[in-house]
Amino acid sequence: MCGIAGIIYRNPQFYKNLGSDLLNLIQPLETRGPDSCGVGLYGNSIESNQLKIVLLAEKAIEWEEIKQLLGKLFVVASFTAMGNGKLVTLEGKIFNSKELIHQLCACFPQVHLMSYGQFLEIYKQVGSAQSLFENYDLKTFAGSHAIGHTRMATESVVDTYHSHPFAAGEDLCIVHNGQVSNYYKLRFALERKGVVFETHNDSEAIAHYINYHLTQGKSLETALHSLLNDIDGTYTFLISTSDKVALVRDKFAAKPAVIYESPEMIAIASEYRCFLNLPTFDPSATIREPDAGEINIWSVSNVPIAPAIEVVAEQTKSAYADLRG
Amino acid sequence: MNNQTILHQAVLDCTDLTTRELNQKLKALASEGISSVKVINPAGRHNLAVGITQAIAIQFQGAVGYYCGGLSEKVDIEVFGGCGWSVGENLMSGNIIIHGNASANAAASAHGGKVCILGNAGPRAGISLKGGTLIVTGNAGYGSAFMMQQGCLIICGNVGENLADSIYDGVIYVGGNIASLGADAQIETMTPQDWQLLDEELQPLAINHEKYDFKKVVCAKELYNFKAKDWSKWKDAY
Repeated sequence: MCGIAGIIYRNPQFYKNLGSDLLNLIQPLETRGPDSCGVGLYGNSIESNQLKIVLLAEKAIEWEEIKQLLGKLFVVASFTAMGNGKLVTLEGKIFNSKELIHQLCACFPQVHLMSYGQFLEIYKQVGSAQSLFENYDLKTFAGSHAIGHTRMATESVVDTYHSHPFAAGEDLCIVHNGQVSNYYKLRFALERKGVVFETHNDSEAIAHYINYHLTQGKSLETALHSLLNDIDGTYTFLISTSDKVALVRDKFAAKPAVIYESPEMIAIASEYRCFLNLPTFDPSATIREPDAGEINIWSVSNVPIAPAIEVVAEQTKSAYADLRG
Repeated sequence: MNNQTILHQAVLDCTDLTTRELNQKLKALASEGISSVKVINPAGRHNLAVGITQAIAIQFQGAVGYYCGGLSEKVDIEVFGGCGWSVGENLMSGNIIIHGNASANAAASAHGGKVCILGNAGPRAGISLKGGTLIVTGNAGYGSAFMMQQGCLIICGNVGENLADSIYDGVIYVGGNIASLGADAQIETMTPQDWQLLDEELQPLAINHEKYDFKKVVCAKELYNFKAKDWSKWKDAY
C-alpha cells in the first residue's frame, strides 16, 4: 500500500493554503500507510546567495557544535528550531553539498540532512500526519507546490529516516508507492557512479537514479523515460523539483493514482476520496487516472500549463498480427 | 434501468456510520423486505454494500471507493458517480450500474450477474471473469480480461495493450481499437448470434451496436496442452 499525494497551485494567491491543503489531502491516506508520514514542501524562498538545509536528530545532540561546524564552512544566516531538528539558512559563494554531507557524517553521524535547496524543506516522522504537522507547525506553510507520503513499510525498517520523501540533490525529492524489485542491482550501479545511499529503503534508489541522470545533463522527461525501462517493480511515484512535479506509473498500472485538475490547482492522490477533503473541492473539475506507463509532468508557474502527457507504448511480443492496421 | 415498483424506500447517511454499520444496516433492511435504499454521502469510501446476499436495490448518491458491491448476490446497485478498484469483485448475481468511470479491476472474478460501467474502465477490467457480464460503454485499460475463464465482456470503445492475456474461455466484444492481444487470444468472425447478443445487452443502455465496429475475441486454446513445437509461444506467454 502506501499513500502518495501532491499539490501544485496555478496561481500565487493560493500559496498560503499549501500546508492545510496538503494535510487535508494526505490524512485519508493514513489507512494506506499507518507507519509514518512525510512531506516535501516548496516555499519560503531565500536570497540567491543562500541555501536552506533541514537537519534532523532523533536523539539529544549538541546543536551548538553543529552550528560551529557549519560556521567553518559557510556563513550561518539563521538557525531555527523545527520539531526534532533545525532549519538552517547558509550563505556562501560556492555550495559544495558533498563536502557538507561528508563533514556532517564524519563529525555528527547521528545528524541527518533531510533536504537542501533554495525552496525545498522535508519533514517526516513515525506516526500520524496530524502529529507531524503539529510538531513542525506546517499547517500555515505557504508555498507553490508540495508532495506528501504515508508509509506502510514492506521492504525496510519503520523509522523516521526510512520514511518518504527521499531527497537527492538540490530541491529534488520523491515519494513512492510500490516496490523496486531490482533495488540491489540498481543500488550497486549507482554506488559505482559515486552515489552515497543513506538508508536501505528501495525508494531512495529512485531519487538517486533521477538525480544522477539530471546531473548528467539530461532533462527530467528523458530521465523518467529511461527510468521506465531501468527500474523493475511496481510504482506510482511523484518527483518534485523547484519548478516541476512529475507523476509516473509503471507499465502494469499496478499502483493507484488519481489526478484532479481545477482552475485553482492540480492535486494528485492515491485515492479519489482524498480530494473530497479539500475545502475548495470542485466536483466539475477534471478527475482522471493515468494509464499504464504514463508520465505526467506539470510545470510550476503562475500560468496554467497543460501537462505534457506522454504514454509509453511498448512493442508487445504478441504472436498475433498487429490489429491496429 | 429500474422499472420495478418501489414499495418502501429507506435513506441511509454514510456520514454518521462506520462502513461495517452501514453494511449491517443494508443487510437488515434487505431481510426486512425493504425493496430500495438510497445511500447519501458515500464520499468515495471503500467496501460499501459488500456481502449483501438478499434482494435489495441500493442507490449510492455519489462516488464510491474500492470493492463496492463485492461478494454480493441478487443486489441491484446503482452508483451516481465513479467507483474505485474492483467494483463488483466476485459478484454472484444481480446488477451493478456505475454512472461514471471505474478504476482498475472492474468485475474482477465475478461469477454471475452484470456490471455496467457507463464511462471508462481502468486497467484489468474483467480480470479473471468467471461467468458474469461486464459492459463498458467507454474505453477499457491495459490488461483487460486477463486470465478470463468464462462469461462475457463488452467494451464499446477502445481497449489497451495485452487484451485477454492467458484467457481460458468466455467471449469479448470490442467496438473500438484493440491496442494488442495477449497470449493465446485471437479474433474470431462475428456470427448472427453474436450480433443478437450485443443487441440484447446494449439496447437497454440505449446503445446502437451498429454504430461500432465490433470485433470478437476468444481463446485460441493453443496453450491448453503443451507441445514442444510451440515452445516459443510458451516462452512468450509469461
